[in-house]
Amino acid sequence: MSNQAVNGLDNRPVVNRPGKVKGSSNISISKYVSYTFLIILCVIWIIPVIFGISTSFRSQTEVVSSGFRLFPETWVFENYVTILNNTSTAPILRWLGNSLFIATSHTILVVIVISITGFGYTRINFKGRDTLFFTLLGISFFPGVVNLIPSYKIIDSFGWVNTSWAMIIPGLAGMGNIFLVRQFMNGIPKELDESAKVDGASDFRIFAQIILPLVKPILIVCGLFSFTGSWNDFLWPVIVYTDVDKMPVTAGLLLLQDIYGNYRMIGQLMGSAILAIIPTLLLFIFAQKYFVQSINLNSGIKG
Amino acid sequence: MKKKFGVVLATVMMLTTVLAGCGGKDDSSKTITFWTPLTGDDGAYMDQIVKDYNATNPEIKVKHVITADMYTKISTVLASSKGVPDLAIIHADRVPGFVKQGVLESMQDTVLPAQPELKAENYLPQAWNTGNIDGTQYTVPLDIHSNVMYYNKDLLKKYNAESFLDDNVVTIDEMLSLQGKLDEGDYVVNDALLGWVILAQIQNLGGDIQADGKPAVNSPVFKQAFEDVKKIADAGLMTPFGEDGYLMFQSQNVLFSTDGTWSSTAHAGVEGLNFGVTNIYSPTADKFTNRSSSHLFAMLKNDKRTDEKEVGIANFLEYVRTNSMEWAKAGQNVASNVVNQSPEYQSYMQSFFTSNEKEIESLYIYTYEYYPYIAEAVDTYCADIVRGNVDLDETLATMQKFVEDKIAESSSAAK
Amino acid sequence: MKKKINWAPAFFVGPHVILFAVFILLPTIYGIYASFTKWNLMSDPVWVGFDNYKAILFDGKSTFHTQFFRGLKNTLIFVGLSVPLLIVIPLMVAVALEHKKVKMKSLIQSILYIPGLISISAAALIWLLIFNKQLGITGNLFGSQIAWPANQPYAWIIIIVITLWGGIGGNMIIYRASLSGVAQELYESAELDGAGSIKRFTSITLPSIRFPLIYTFVMTTAGAFNVFGQPLMMTDGGPRQSTHVLMMYIRQLAFGNGESIAGMASAMAVLLGLVILVISALQYYVMNRNAT
Repeated sequence: MSNQAVNGLDNRPVVNRPGKVKGSSNISISKYVSYTFLIILCVIWIIPVIFGISTSFRSQTEVVSSGFRLFPETWVFENYVTILNNTSTAPILRWLGNSLFIATSHTILVVIVISITGFGYTRINFKGRDTLFFTLLGISFFPGVVNLIPSYKIIDSFGWVNTSWAMIIPGLAGMGNIFLVRQFMNGIPKELDESAKVDGASDFRIFAQIILPLVKPILIVCGLFSFTGSWNDFLWPVIVYTDVDKMPVTAGLLLLQDIYGNYRMIGQLMGSAILAIIPTLLLFIFAQKYFVQSINLNSGIKG
Repeated sequence: MKKKFGVVLATVMMLTTVLAGCGGKDDSSKTITFWTPLTGDDGAYMDQIVKDYNATNPEIKVKHVITADMYTKISTVLASSKGVPDLAIIHADRVPGFVKQGVLESMQDTVLPAQPELKAENYLPQAWNTGNIDGTQYTVPLDIHSNVMYYNKDLLKKYNAESFLDDNVVTIDEMLSLQGKLDEGDYVVNDALLGWVILAQIQNLGGDIQADGKPAVNSPVFKQAFEDVKKIADAGLMTPFGEDGYLMFQSQNVLFSTDGTWSSTAHAGVEGLNFGVTNIYSPTADKFTNRSSSHLFAMLKNDKRTDEKEVGIANFLEYVRTNSMEWAKAGQNVASNVVNQSPEYQSYMQSFFTSNEKEIESLYIYTYEYYPYIAEAVDTYCADIVRGNVDLDETLATMQKFVEDKIAESSSAAK
Repeated sequence: MKKKINWAPAFFVGPHVILFAVFILLPTIYGIYASFTKWNLMSDPVWVGFDNYKAILFDGKSTFHTQFFRGLKNTLIFVGLSVPLLIVIPLMVAVALEHKKVKMKSLIQSILYIPGLISISAAALIWLLIFNKQLGITGNLFGSQIAWPANQPYAWIIIIVITLWGGIGGNMIIYRASLSGVAQELYESAELDGAGSIKRFTSITLPSIRFPLIYTFVMTTAGAFNVFGQPLMMTDGGPRQSTHVLMMYIRQLAFGNGESIAGMASAMAVLLGLVILVISALQYYVMNRNAT
């Protein structure tokens, strides 16, 4: 892909312009444009979040009292006390622990599977490789509605009902992340591994020593997606689990709804939703350093 | 890199195995697995009942499992005929369908004989009868939960409308008399559970949702019911379409709220909300109906359920019959007469609905086999009809077709 | 002729193919099979051939025909409104964040990513309160007298707003990760040549992230076709079923009240799958060709 960009530049008719001056004024204008855009967006994005958090500190009386207030008039902690005290029908801390275990194991396995598979679909030559890839991708586009029933039968035959396996393994079959990794690996110039091949490196060595380090950012992104996806999945775990103590948090939260699917204790719902995002949020804050790590492909080509 | 992955992989595998190993291996012959769809606070009350029962040291204990999507889950376990619960709570409108599909076990010869007091006379009649299909008793009731009408005492006083409650029937005409008298932003009634309200009017008008076993949605009585309720909306007395009328009742902008018995606890949580409960409004002072459903104990087909377990279930149901005061806390009309006639029960707001014969009769449960499809059609279209967004005649014809098409698809599948 | 067997494909692609066959292919085949049956999820499916498809596609009077085409139309509206914004906004954010002089990148990034973590039911509740006339911002701060969920085009607006709010984070970080791989020297030399920001964007940024761009376009579209949570929670399909998307009808047929009509639901799902397949294939083909 970087070759592409370079060529694009080279083919451009060279026009004589006072580049430097123009460029720096451009930079300051674009800086202000960028800032304005980002700040407006952030304000719009954060207000509902703050409102959600502050609602978790409101009594039901205040939630339904007229007028918009971003922050509560009186801060109450009752919602959190109620949530944390209910350890029999809604043990939220336990759910968080379960989710953490499920999401972590799932994510690690996903990263292993997609990096290997992505390499296979871009660097290993075999007959019908791309056909295979696009066929699987196409199949995965069919919306799974009644698939729930056969899926349940399958995990049941493995004896995985009511266990974490049912949450950790089936998701590994997904195509989305493999597609992303494949797209990324396609962007890495083939010259890199071909020269290594000439030097007699095995496929596995090329994978582990050349490609893997280069796709690290996107693997982290995929890991983040898998973690969040596994964390937020609620249709499947409801079917899989019967033990309230084993449930992950998102499925557990459904148990807080009243019987007609409505949340009537709004503050409590918000409180539990806030508690449920903390682990994923922390992971994101930690991971974001890594996925923007600059990896200089171009120097790689030249070198 | 390779080594690291290996270590991580091994750790994960190990942890998962451990986790999988220690799960779900309790002795299933010694417990009754009991599924309920009772999420939220309701689940906690039921949990308490189960806990108290287990504390009596019965031979077979009960394990209560709350599931958020119980009916889908029931489909999956029935399809793979593994993990079917011993006992479940299902809703009244599921019974005819389940029986026809052959997935319910009769209680007639199995559970009922074990406990002589598990009989019709000891329960609210319609709660018991809804589980009786062609003379066979399939279920034992826990409660009747109804669409009822809460009123805001302070607002009624403010608008001089307390007299509406005199005969326990608030008529549509009485409501209409408030037209032009309300402050801006105040409304007479909200549109919570509007579909249930419509279905109540069908009874109030002396009609039915079926004729000779065929759905009768495109009928004069349905038209009348919609037109009557539409009058309130046309007069600008119903909370605006798309607004959360339930929250507006809690924020004291609405005189009447047509939601469920189960909401009383949530309303009670709002400070300063001075409220009471009465029957759903009616077009006539002569008749009132509170469209209801019922939570019923039922046994799904399961070959592995032993006779001992069935006796255990009978013992548990007998315990619930005499000890379900806890369930009154959920706001529901407890079906067991021992409970709903006890003095303690009279302190609960919903005791209003079991206070006399006429009230008990007003708790109407539809038992028509295809009621769920009709309810779905009504729910899908009622808001647009009542708000005048669509042509009534045309929509009734669409609804009729909607129900017929669904019936055509389902009944042949059951064969 | 004796050939050495090449084990590499089996090693690199094989494990996933097995996982795929067990957990996706098998259930999908069963789903397709179910679309040719009448099935209530509990008893055994009854084979009916193409009856379901005939009813959906050709029987103009059938409720399922009306539902399918209304649902598909609403879904297409949703896709048309949401997908371009779900691509453009994150891309603009990522480009703005690439700007050397912009500070607090991590904070900005986190703020935009957080909403995607909040469960859909909590998110819907937050936005319904915000759009509530008595309790929210639109009524109290902007004096809007409209009940948003019950009037068009407002019903679509709130659905799109909550979708963007919760949905831009994913594509944003894909673009961020992709852009970080673009060599700074390219920009610097372009700058020296006097290329303006727009020129730099079209001639350097876009070409260098074309592979991830194709990915996000295809996957965002496929995801948007499967939408049901947002309309279900925000408008419940109203007013007059104008936001009732196809997936909502499908789920109602399969898991609604009363006896399940899963065969018909499967047939609709298969048809939806075909639509997604055709559109994503087109997208991939067009974008891949234009890019090379």
